[in-house]
Amino acid sequence: MLAYIARRAVLAVLTMAAISVFAFIIIQLPPGDFVDAYIANLSASGSSVSMEEAKSLRALYGLDQPVYVQYMKWMSRVLVGDFGESMEWHRPVAEVIGDRLWLTIVLSLSALMLTWGIALPIGIYSAVRQYSALDYVFTSISFIGLAVPNFLLALVIMYFSFVLFGANVGGLFSSEFDLAPWSLAKVWDLIKHLPLPAVILALAGTAQLIRIMRANLLDELRKPYVVTARAKGMPEARVIWKYPVRAALNPFASTIAYLFPYLVSGSIIISLVLSLPTVGPLLLKALIAQDMFLAGTIVLLLGVMTVIGTFISDLVLMWVDPRIRFQMD
Amino acid sequence: MKKSVLLGVCASLLVGLSAFAPAQAQQPSANLMASGLVGKLEGPELILDPAKWPKSFGEAPDLAELVKAGKLPPVKDRVPAEPLVMKPLSEVGKYGGTWRRGFLGPGDWENGNRLNASDKLLFWDPTGTKIVPSVAKSWEQSADGKVIRVNLRKGMKWSDGAPFTADDFVFWFEDLYSNKDIVAAPIPDMSPGGKPGKVVKVDETTVEFQFENPHFLFVDFLAGDTLIGGGQSVRQSQGTTFGAYSPKHYLKQFLPKYSSEAQVNERAKAEGFENWVKMLHFKKDWSFNTELPTLGPWKTTRPINTPTWVLERNPYYWAVDSAGNQLPYIDKVVLTLAEDSEVINLRAIGGNYDMQERHISLSKLPVILENQQKGGYKVHLDLALHGSDTTLFINQSFKADAEVAKWLTNADFRRALSMGIDRNQLNDTFWLGIGTPGSVAPSVQMPQSPGKEYRDKYSKLDIAKANQLLDGIGLTKKDSEGYRVRTDNGERLRIQVQAVKALLPWPQQAEMIGEQWRKIGIQADVREMERTLATTRTRNNEHQIMVWTNGGTELLYLFPRHAIPVDPTEAYMGPEFATWYASNGAQGRAPTDPQMLKIYDLFKSASGQREAGDRDKTAQEIWKILVDQQYAIGTVGESPAQFGVRIVSTKLGNIPSRACIAQHCRTPSSSHAETWYFK
Repeated sequence: MLAYIARRAVLAVLTMAAISVFAFIIIQLPPGDFVDAYIANLSASGSSVSMEEAKSLRALYGLDQPVYVQYMKWMSRVLVGDFGESMEWHRPVAEVIGDRLWLTIVLSLSALMLTWGIALPIGIYSAVRQYSALDYVFTSISFIGLAVPNFLLALVIMYFSFVLFGANVGGLFSSEFDLAPWSLAKVWDLIKHLPLPAVILALAGTAQLIRIMRANLLDELRKPYVVTARAKGMPEARVIWKYPVRAALNPFASTIAYLFPYLVSGSIIISLVLSLPTVGPLLLKALIAQDMFLAGTIVLLLGVMTVIGTFISDLVLMWVDPRIRFQMD
Repeated sequence: MKKSVLLGVCASLLVGLSAFAPAQAQQPSANLMASGLVGKLEGPELILDPAKWPKSFGEAPDLAELVKAGKLPPVKDRVPAEPLVMKPLSEVGKYGGTWRRGFLGPGDWENGNRLNASDKLLFWDPTGTKIVPSVAKSWEQSADGKVIRVNLRKGMKWSDGAPFTADDFVFWFEDLYSNKDIVAAPIPDMSPGGKPGKVVKVDETTVEFQFENPHFLFVDFLAGDTLIGGGQSVRQSQGTTFGAYSPKHYLKQFLPKYSSEAQVNERAKAEGFENWVKMLHFKKDWSFNTELPTLGPWKTTRPINTPTWVLERNPYYWAVDSAGNQLPYIDKVVLTLAEDSEVINLRAIGGNYDMQERHISLSKLPVILENQQKGGYKVHLDLALHGSDTTLFINQSFKADAEVAKWLTNADFRRALSMGIDRNQLNDTFWLGIGTPGSVAPSVQMPQSPGKEYRDKYSKLDIAKANQLLDGIGLTKKDSEGYRVRTDNGERLRIQVQAVKALLPWPQQAEMIGEQWRKIGIQADVREMERTLATTRTRNNEHQIMVWTNGGTELLYLFPRHAIPVDPTEAYMGPEFATWYASNGAQGRAPTDPQMLKIYDLFKSASGQREAGDRDKTAQEIWKILVDQQYAIGTVGESPAQFGVRIVSTKLGNIPSRACIAQHCRTPSSSHAETWYFK
């Protein structure tokens, strides 16, 4: 058991090193560099960058050096916990991401709780009362939920909240709290702004989860051990909750692997549409601007989160599912 | 995806727009003027006669409080003895208020720079056609054009109260600009004929720029959005160090010269910078460093790399209104971060900004107009002065495909392409009929305009003539689908058009042009590309035709790169020629086209011409050749596509009915936001 965990940990570290190299290569792949993107951006908005400026910028950011030199310089800093400075934000990358990280986590977590809170009971109900009227209702709703892209939903909800209520659309704070230091009022303001994006983020996932939960549980309910339990006169609630539901939850444990990166990045498209100050739009912007260190660090962070997530999900699986545990011993 | 959805919403509302978007766009301007959305170019008037200057000064209440508390000297000691006096457009305003605006993050630094653009030595009047004083009180040019003397304002101060003098110019020139660690090489603005000039202090308030060769364009450069004349806000940020003056008393502490290299490096390390150069670049950037002394009407109090970029009044601002009240009227500018320009549009429509022209999209105009009442704002359409928002730049140094290169460098072929474009259809579809179809030549309002006929020459739909030209140059054979074929291998002649989605939906526009070219038997292969890929390809001489704006060309000498291939940074008309020109023939390839060579000669001759009128004539000659040769094909311009849809709160006063939309006007700064106020 311990040997297994140690082996996984070593593999995880190696994977992370590989991810850092790939992250850097992928970011270097598009033609041009930060200065090119910067020139194109300014030119399209009626301002200009001269040759002289471009040259001095390249020298300033070290973009005139070979790629491997840039990577080694970056890596030597990353290893001591310094992720370099964002070219666009002129601040340490850790700070730029840090600003948004916890808001992203709050948002993703609330969306996740909402998803699970809605999907699991409905999924269980639909399976247990298969082909009942409510099952049909939930099934149709969840199919619609699956089919509608959630950025579209975000746009529609934004449009109506604007037309009907004239509400300030987007963002996580009202304008008067944007500047204010943290206070109870600001937290309350955040809580008021949170439901809309959380619901939108949660909806598609909910639909999917309902379907998965229903299908898994239906599989379990038909197994002989359930029939045996019923035949022996075990109370119905106990029959369902004690064994089949637990077994049906297995796939959820394995999804932890990709929940982790999701927690730190949030949904990029939804965040853009709703102008949420999360890490997702930051990554997109960094990639467009070819802000290497910022984009590299976020990609690295996502990779690391996936590795950690997978590791944890393996542990959780071992814990919830005795079959895996016993197989190993 | 999202953009097309909003565009769809707009399209459905387009029906109600017929008041100013005529079905037939032959003369859009008359209808446009009648709509009340386009006013006349206007702005505050500068009072240059000292006899008419106010004798006493007023100040904002919050500053008066500070004076009372002894934390700030009285206003008469803060305002220079020779202030810039402005008569506001309508009336003397009131102090107070916060101007809410949107921005897109640190990459959108120009959003704030432009509000502070009066920190240029010279500037343009609200019509964008006449040079006026700004930081400098006045200027003189020697008869031989080798010395330009700039007179500063007596008693003028930096935003921290320290005197602003000729020493700040010499400091910039000797300690920053001439330091190879900070500025790698001299800039062309300061080196006419390749000979570097210098900056000399005459007395406390007099500076001379001295050159070995005549530099008659230098005054224009000081007024333009150039490296030397751009001002401190824009030219000393983002790692660059141009702009003619710098706060010596503050910045010298970061230079090795005033202590030692070891000492400044140590300080840099302590503050978390790699070395002293990086620290200096940060310290002299007004958008990051809130301690930096500046000259603009507002100074940064919350840096740009936070979710809200906040600017507050400069208590030492050197301009007053005609009643003697120190400007600006508005206390604060708060720029809130939006993740995407769509959000800026939506918030503007919701009335969340007090004045926003940047990032407002022309395609949203119907929705914007519909919500005027509810949002509490008024819409102004400001028409640009350059000729063509969507320009097909034809690569004259293309050589990857000899057959294609042969046609791209053939004048009749280019003329035929131009006459095969239905500009009215483009205008109606993408500019809501508001733009003006025409060539690349600038608006006839500009002194360098070659005249109305050159707005039209080869720039009107004439399919018969276009076909005749194409037949005439030997492209007579067509394939079964009616497309003309190559003369070398008989396959269809395909012309690649490279387009990027930036200012306008250029890929879709290029598709429409490609459709239109079917009628003249030309197959266009439109390649939609990511922006950086497109610019990299153009720099490598790989493109055939590139779609981009020709914005900035309304004053040819100040920003020639969208009109003539002179700058390898953006050389869509011939990268190899631009490299050849910029390196004085050391690299790249010399053009053989006599007309192109003539353009270069004319362009070079301008800086030796003493009279502005003569230089304008030279520019007109260049434009005539450019239009006649169609190296770049203009489509629709003089439109509000770029910063021209202005959303202004009804609470704001002294707002011009039309503002100058051009690079040299530093939109919206030539309208002098410091004279706007909350009623």
